[in-house]
Amino acid sequence: MSTMRIAGGLVIDPTQPADTVRDLCVQDGRIVSLAAQAPADVEIDATGCVVMAGGIDLHTHIGGGKVNLARMLLPESRRIEPDCLGCVPGTVDTGHRYAQMGYTAAFEPAMVASNARHAHMEMGDTPILDHGAYVMLGNDEFFLQLLSEGGAAGSNFELIRDYMGWTINAARAMGVKVVNPAGISAFKFNQRKLDVDERHVHWQVTPRQVVHTLARALKELGVPHPLHIHGSNLGVAGNIESTLETIRSLEGLPAHLTHVQFHAYGTEGPKKFSSAALALAEAVNANPNISIDVGQIIFGQTVTASGDTMRQHAQAAFGSPRKFVGSDIECEAGCGVVPFRYREQSYVNALQWVIGLELFLLVRDPWRVVLTTDHPNGGPFTSYPHLIRLLMDRSFREEQLAKLHPEVAANCALRSITRELSLSEIAVMTRAAPARLLGLADRGHLGVGGAADIAIYREQADREAMFQAPEYVFKDGTMVARAGIIVAAPVGGTHFVEPDFDRGVEKTLRAHLARHGSVDFDRVAIGRDELCSCCNGGRLLPAACFKA
Amino acid sequence: MSETPPASQGSATRWVSPFCLLLCDTLSVRADAATGGLELVEGQCEAARRALTRFKAAPSAATPQVHGVSSSLDEALGAAARILAASRQPLIGGLGTDVAGARAVHRLARETGAICDPAGGAALMHTLRTLQDRGGYGTTLAEVRNRADLIVCLGGMPSGDAAELLARCGVGEAGTQQRHLVLLGGAPADQASLAALAGRAGLSTEAVALQGDLFGTVAILSALVAGRPVTRAAPELAKLAERLLAARYGVLVGQSALLPAHGNLVVEMTHRIVATLNQRTRAAALWLGGGNGAGTVNEVFTWLGGLPVRTRLGAVGSEHDPLCFEANRLLADAAVDCLVWISSFDPDCAPPATPLPLIVLGHPELASSAMRQGSVFVPVSTPGIGSAGHLFRADGGAVLPLVPLHDDKLPTLPEVLGGLVQRVQGLRAKASP
Repeated sequence: MSTMRIAGGLVIDPTQPADTVRDLCVQDGRIVSLAAQAPADVEIDATGCVVMAGGIDLHTHIGGGKVNLARMLLPESRRIEPDCLGCVPGTVDTGHRYAQMGYTAAFEPAMVASNARHAHMEMGDTPILDHGAYVMLGNDEFFLQLLSEGGAAGSNFELIRDYMGWTINAARAMGVKVVNPAGISAFKFNQRKLDVDERHVHWQVTPRQVVHTLARALKELGVPHPLHIHGSNLGVAGNIESTLETIRSLEGLPAHLTHVQFHAYGTEGPKKFSSAALALAEAVNANPNISIDVGQIIFGQTVTASGDTMRQHAQAAFGSPRKFVGSDIECEAGCGVVPFRYREQSYVNALQWVIGLELFLLVRDPWRVVLTTDHPNGGPFTSYPHLIRLLMDRSFREEQLAKLHPEVAANCALRSITRELSLSEIAVMTRAAPARLLGLADRGHLGVGGAADIAIYREQADREAMFQAPEYVFKDGTMVARAGIIVAAPVGGTHFVEPDFDRGVEKTLRAHLARHGSVDFDRVAIGRDELCSCCNGGRLLPAACFKA
Repeated sequence: MSETPPASQGSATRWVSPFCLLLCDTLSVRADAATGGLELVEGQCEAARRALTRFKAAPSAATPQVHGVSSSLDEALGAAARILAASRQPLIGGLGTDVAGARAVHRLARETGAICDPAGGAALMHTLRTLQDRGGYGTTLAEVRNRADLIVCLGGMPSGDAAELLARCGVGEAGTQQRHLVLLGGAPADQASLAALAGRAGLSTEAVALQGDLFGTVAILSALVAGRPVTRAAPELAKLAERLLAARYGVLVGQSALLPAHGNLVVEMTHRIVATLNQRTRAAALWLGGGNGAGTVNEVFTWLGGLPVRTRLGAVGSEHDPLCFEANRLLADAAVDCLVWISSFDPDCAPPATPLPLIVLGHPELASSAMRQGSVFVPVSTPGIGSAGHLFRADGGAVLPLVPLHDDKLPTLPEVLGGLVQRVQGLRAKASP
């Protein structure tokens, strides 16, 4: 029953009415209310510090087949990077570096159902951080077949919903992600492009149908995190049209559009490549059912690892160093890994950088914008403090802008955007909003009863330095980092959801796997005990679903 | 931990084979009540059938050894810890274990600054080095089963621990799409197994001879597929190139352990063929390798430390060198001063001959490989026989849980290594107070 008082810090908790200088008390890993004069076993002097909940990254590729392929593809990145971690560090370094920055949870957005154990194993070996994953659906042939055979009337909808429920449970997922809806499958049938209303060459369904069906089913299953969408035409000039059409295809259903920076390109200007950030921001502002994360790019060497084989194959020629690994996976998914070096003097890269920042600054409601670089695709997560400074400090932003390709620096809308995000807005985008979007009731805030995941930053004018190495980081009440040094590395817990569904679907699925699969149906689902051993013995943290 | 209960003697257990690259998972095994012998009673997997003869469904009587003399586990771990604490550069070889074992080996390697190289490391490097240089495009069993209309087996038919590949991919299965199977090169035994497939449902077969050796043949095929002029290309190869270009989804299959020295060049050229094909149609390569736990250990090492095997792990950073950190070369050059050998699955995978201090952790039958002065042996449980576990399938498409057939009463590798790391730390602390 040990107690701790964090005294005299400016507590920034966007779920509370106001940010105030006050004491924050902790007992047994939870935030509690202690009388002002009550003694505490540990006193932390937080005078001159900002106290926030632990950071939550809701979209970061930290575990699973393609991340490991990226590591295998780029052993040299561990020699050329100054800190020798490379752009895809191992799981141990990943956990440590996140914790050093005050982050206490991270979510893998692209878990392949057939390989879910692998993703959970890597996340379980990522110390300190709690974790979870979104299972990829919408390119699996079983889903596409059901959707196709159900026709325009959607007569297979209940079966699809139950199949999704079964898969979420079997893979121990926290949500569902769709990547290039129907496009990964289409690429296996040698289709090279798929617009929102274009038909899959074999199944004859469209991305619009796929997105709408998945979003509706997920809502009916009561899964708190809405459909996580990596839209059509990633990286293609003019893809703003597909992004806006994807939003329309939802017809008001809740959804989270991920790494939207890669999906907000117009075709204006001399190079037929322009920012469409304003159009997208307006759409997000006008559609309260939509949340986004940005996928900001950061200049330097990184590697892009994506399930989107169609787009990654198309972009492999732009890779640096010039190598590419891809795979078609189990009639369910795919993966493509392309190393990238984002350069300030590249017109396209400079514009990508600008677009990301414009999106952060043009969307009005911070509760619907999450700070990400789509690690490692836009840049490594270790650049978050730099990104925070870009958002909070206009003069720093302009200094950086001046280094870019001159045409971009001279003409971009970002030049005239004066907004500087407040600490409170940063706390929303890095903690409170992701917790709310994931349905984590006891995370992302510092209210009584919340988990004692806490980061204490020394107030500094240089926000990059401030967010680089907090004075203290606590995970469930245990000090894990002190001034940038890891002092404890407990195993993190696993978040997942267990939506109800009709088990009648199992008979159909069993027959399908016997005819088309490569794994015995009875081996597919991960039991709770097995999940625990995959995740290195970490705690299981099932999140509640909404009632139907 | 698997939730499937272990088999009781006499009844059959539905089982996943850890002895096959494809983790055959529709098998059933029964233990003979009288002899404890393990027998495959459902499903077909020759590698599994063979391996099962080396195990019994009875508690193991094997004991640890120090200098070849039977000892307690505590004595053996103490002796092993002394070897490691005195070592300036240990080598951990074999690496025959599963995910949990690999996690524990990585901890030991970090603690001792060891270099790790699996048995069969050379074959693993054929594909890993090619990946590091250029990348590649792969596929998995279910994709081949549902999509491949052309399968080309490079240099031989899948055999040994990959013998079930074609069956697992539904080749010749009733009701599947029409497909063409080509054997490129291969020994008479390969020709015979190709011939045995003739007449199967939906299957046509063809043997194409090599033009020179495998390296040259694949290079010619690559040029033909790319439409480059080739003088004196064999007509069969020209036809094969046309077939590949015309196929909807061609798959080139190879077994990395069967490739000759410098096999990475074959892998690279094959990937070039696939890359060329993928500009117009669809194709993929499928390399089968990493058996006996090597592929699994490579995955686990890569995620834990960011680098694959053939890496020296140390407190001040890691160093990866796929050529220099080859176990036999290190032993021959006396670049290491002790050898830890791990083989939980294969009793025939014995440590290479070496005068160095030796620690063997593995199948009880490996006791005979650690009989001399300066050696320690600890028998460990085999995942998928005496304990649960997890392995990666060779195509990377799935990680499957291993089901124990009985409780062999042997310690698991993580248990043994946990005790060993603790003792090494203890000795180090004493040495530098």
